[in-house]
Amino acid sequence: MIRFMCLLTAVAWLGLVPAAHAQTVGFADAIKILSQSCGKDIDKYCKKANLGNNEIGQCLEQNSSKVSAQCNADRARVATLIEARLAAQAAVPKICERASQQYCQGMEPGSGHILKCLLKAERVVGNKCNEAINLAGYR
Amino acid sequence: MKFTSLFVGAVAVAAVSATGALAQTKLSRNEIINSLQGAQAKVEVSADELRKAAFDNIKKYPGDNAAEVLPLALKLNQLRQFNVEITFDFDSDRIRPESYETVGVIADALHTPYLWGAKFFVVGHTDAKGDREYNIKLSQRRADAIREALITTFRVPADRLEAVGLGEEQLRDPENPDAEVNRRVQLINVGY
Repeated sequence: MIRFMCLLTAVAWLGLVPAAHAQTVGFADAIKILSQSCGKDIDKYCKKANLGNNEIGQCLEQNSSKVSAQCNADRARVATLIEARLAAQAAVPKICERASQQYCQGMEPGSGHILKCLLKAERVVGNKCNEAINLAGYR
Repeated sequence: MKFTSLFVGAVAVAAVSATGALAQTKLSRNEIINSLQGAQAKVEVSADELRKAAFDNIKKYPGDNAAEVLPLALKLNQLRQFNVEITFDFDSDRIRPESYETVGVIADALHTPYLWGAKFFVVGHTDAKGDREYNIKLSQRRADAIREALITTFRVPADRLEAVGLGEEQLRDPENPDAEVNRRVQLINVGY
């Protein structure tokens, strides 16, 4: 029995390792890194640039030789974090497709009803779907 | 020129302290969700009507400060909503880096299934200092900047957000027209 449990743990580990590495953070936590690491550079070099339309990203890129090393390291990281969260959100419908069909039938897609149903059905929708929902930051 | 840059500096300091106050009671995603979510009928007020009402209010009740509240805005006040503080450069629509996090929290909330499908007005307000028409235009540009950041940087679907600037036409504290509490961004759930 113990051996069986060990095997199960090993399998679970194998399955979960990539997911554990693929931790995501919310948009607020991601963009906060940008204001912390690049705030001074943004005010120094990007006085005309706004947060929207990647104006700040482009400005920091254009001034990459002048901005701090910390900012240069983190601006790329922030963009990656935002993309990772968006990708995690986009992946949920597919990963949770079977659970949706099984537990959330007949719900109108697109209005969030299916996801709210999946959130409520946490105990039965399975690890993969739950993990996908966690990574999407929906909980 | 020196005077201008000094002035901007002073405003920047004020912006930092405002953010400091915000940090003490950290704005949470769930706080926004709880305030905004809830089934409601579609609202029969368009963003264009609301924008027009602000300018009409100046024609109808001229003067230094807005003396009358907007009937349309009163209607919107009954809806699910949330007020946030976002700081901008002085006399500009450039969002201060200290406020990026706040815009991010709004994005986090809007991306959750709890608020999916709903449409929102992002309504910008100023205090009563300065010219009324100018204030409407400035708050419109600021509301536009927030909407723009939400739909581009954080990829909130564009058709879910409308930006409206009401200037000083809908003061939060009409007894103290120049008070800081009047400078705010209102997020209003206008239904499906």
